[in-house]
Amino acid sequence: MTTVPGLRHQSAAVAARDLRRERRRGEVAWVTIPFGAIAVLLIPLAIGIDAPTLRRIGPGLYWVVVLLFGVLVAVRRTATDQGDAAVGARLGIDPAAAFLGAAAATTVMILVFEMAVGFVAVMLYDLDLSRWPWMLVVVPGVAVGLGLLGTLAGAVSAGAASPNLVPFLVAPLALPLLIGATQALDAGLTEGGGILRWVLMVLLVDVVALVLGVVTARPLQETG
Amino acid sequence: MVSLRDVSVRIGATTILRRLDLTIAPGEVIGLFGGNGAGKTTLLRLLATELVPAAGTATVLGVDLATGNRIDLRRHIGLVGHTPALYLELTLAENLAFAARVTGADPRLGDDVLAAVGLAEVADRRASQCSYGMQRRAEFARELMLRPSLLLLDEPHSALDAASVDLVGHVVDSVTAGGGVAVLVSHDRERIEKLASRTVELVGGRLT
Amino acid sequence: MTANSRGRRIGVLDGAALVAVAAALLLAFATPPEATQGNVARLFYIHVPAILVAYLCFGLTLLGGASYLATGKLRFDHLAVAAAEVGVLFTGLTVLVGMIWAKPTWGVYWTWSARLILTAVMFFGYLGYLALRRAIDDPVVRARRAAVFGIVSIGIIPIVHFSVLWWRDVHQPPTLLRPDEMQIDGPLLAAFLVGLVAYAVVAAALVARRYRLAALEAELDAGLAAADVPVAGDAVAAPSLDGAQ
Repeated sequence: MTTVPGLRHQSAAVAARDLRRERRRGEVAWVTIPFGAIAVLLIPLAIGIDAPTLRRIGPGLYWVVVLLFGVLVAVRRTATDQGDAAVGARLGIDPAAAFLGAAAATTVMILVFEMAVGFVAVMLYDLDLSRWPWMLVVVPGVAVGLGLLGTLAGAVSAGAASPNLVPFLVAPLALPLLIGATQALDAGLTEGGGILRWVLMVLLVDVVALVLGVVTARPLQETG
Repeated sequence: MVSLRDVSVRIGATTILRRLDLTIAPGEVIGLFGGNGAGKTTLLRLLATELVPAAGTATVLGVDLATGNRIDLRRHIGLVGHTPALYLELTLAENLAFAARVTGADPRLGDDVLAAVGLAEVADRRASQCSYGMQRRAEFARELMLRPSLLLLDEPHSALDAASVDLVGHVVDSVTAGGGVAVLVSHDRERIEKLASRTVELVGGRLT
Repeated sequence: MTANSRGRRIGVLDGAALVAVAAALLLAFATPPEATQGNVARLFYIHVPAILVAYLCFGLTLLGGASYLATGKLRFDHLAVAAAEVGVLFTGLTVLVGMIWAKPTWGVYWTWSARLILTAVMFFGYLGYLALRRAIDDPVVRARRAAVFGIVSIGIIPIVHFSVLWWRDVHQPPTLLRPDEMQIDGPLLAAFLVGLVAYAVVAAALVARRYRLAALEAELDAGLAAADVPVAGDAVAAPSLDGAQ
């Protein structure tokens, strides 16, 4: 009788599997990132190309692109997941491990997306990077939150007819991430105030999404 | 090892199986036949714990499907269905390595079982680049490696070439030798009757 | 409880709702006009109670979902979906009445206030809950997944409510549920509270009817399945190729 690997081991195996598959598929690198960059490029054409305005509202535009396109990364996953979930379930992978591994892989992909599109946004909008230390927390924090929420939404809607259901479900739930990220980097929605509470909002979403995802992984996998 | 008593299975509002009885003892190989739409795949999915009975009592490997821990039970069940359950972007060897890694099986067995099914030379080929028959062989290799206690095969001989048909018997023997059981669904009566210790027919949602 | 007694109770609730709404509207028109906004402020006696009732409904969705996950009893799922649908209705009513109020007051139907945006997001969030339910056929899988999503979605509500405190913009701060003292005169407060009770009774009546409908649908499905109907496979016949080209 073999010893079943623990949660950490299974999660790592799932994450490695997903990252390897994405590396070969290249959808995030060759499709989603360029698409996000195009969005960053096109928005000024629609709202005006006044440089000081773009500099002021650029961070907010960036985070909206991250929110909407980060969801596409999760959708990319769930489009392949119908068969994949069956494979994983048949192997008896702990549902919590499947969730954690999938969320970890999605988080890495979203983080890569954030950095790539962020570079484009900084160049095009001439963004002020004086608050860059906070970005070291906020950028990964948002990636983690979107990764967790996207994976959770994918699990909730697995097998449903429409792949567009996942972004529709994630967008409202990810709102606290958008608010926290934009406030923390001072997109100008409020006057002054502490940054820390907004950073904590992002981290709170991460923690809540993590706990909910792990706790509900098993009931969500049950098909009957 | 498997006990179904008065089991009915519904999918949505449609009844597929009704008041079905089946008992499988350790070491048995059951050949399951039936017409199109008779519910053979549904019965396999029930045994694979993907479905729960709407009525009756279904016990698989000692676990009541309605109340027990079905998810953990799945580690001991192998299912080779119509659709290959492989990660298409991974190579055949990587698929087996992943299965070993998450189940605790010996990863070194991967090369051996791929060789046993005749896929040693293409172990580093991605599953998407393999034919349907090759993918099926790879799935048999996985079951050889994992040695489930309950093996479920849906049309096992389909897409296998003449040189590979004995593979099915080999996989079945590897399971039953350890006291496990196998259920084979097929329209190929002649081949299945050679492998099965007993055959049953699904008619009107019940077994005869 | 028999079907007749259940029907009678719902009928009583319907009657109570009608009476309560009539009383609320009467009081809304009878109270003195608000000092700065005049008669248009009477819309608040619908607008504010409606959103509070929506919060209550979404809270019931959370409770129903959590109870379903804990017990596996589908009646809690029926409660969850009934409450969600009524909550979406009341949220839509809140936005609509707010827009009618905004035009004469702000000069526009819509402004980019955080409270408005977030309320709209909450509306779409729970529309997503209903869309999720529609996309899943199996009642048990649907109940389970909707329960999880209903639990996750409740996080939007505190953000909506506190948005007027976090962002000081054109939308006025809360009148009733606020951290400091309420700033509203007695007669107006009475109209608010009667409105709140009235719309809560309306919501209860709607939830009760919708719950009953969900329970009847589940009974119908169970009955169809249990009946001595042919199994699916009986409808499949052997091919008949005689005379075929």
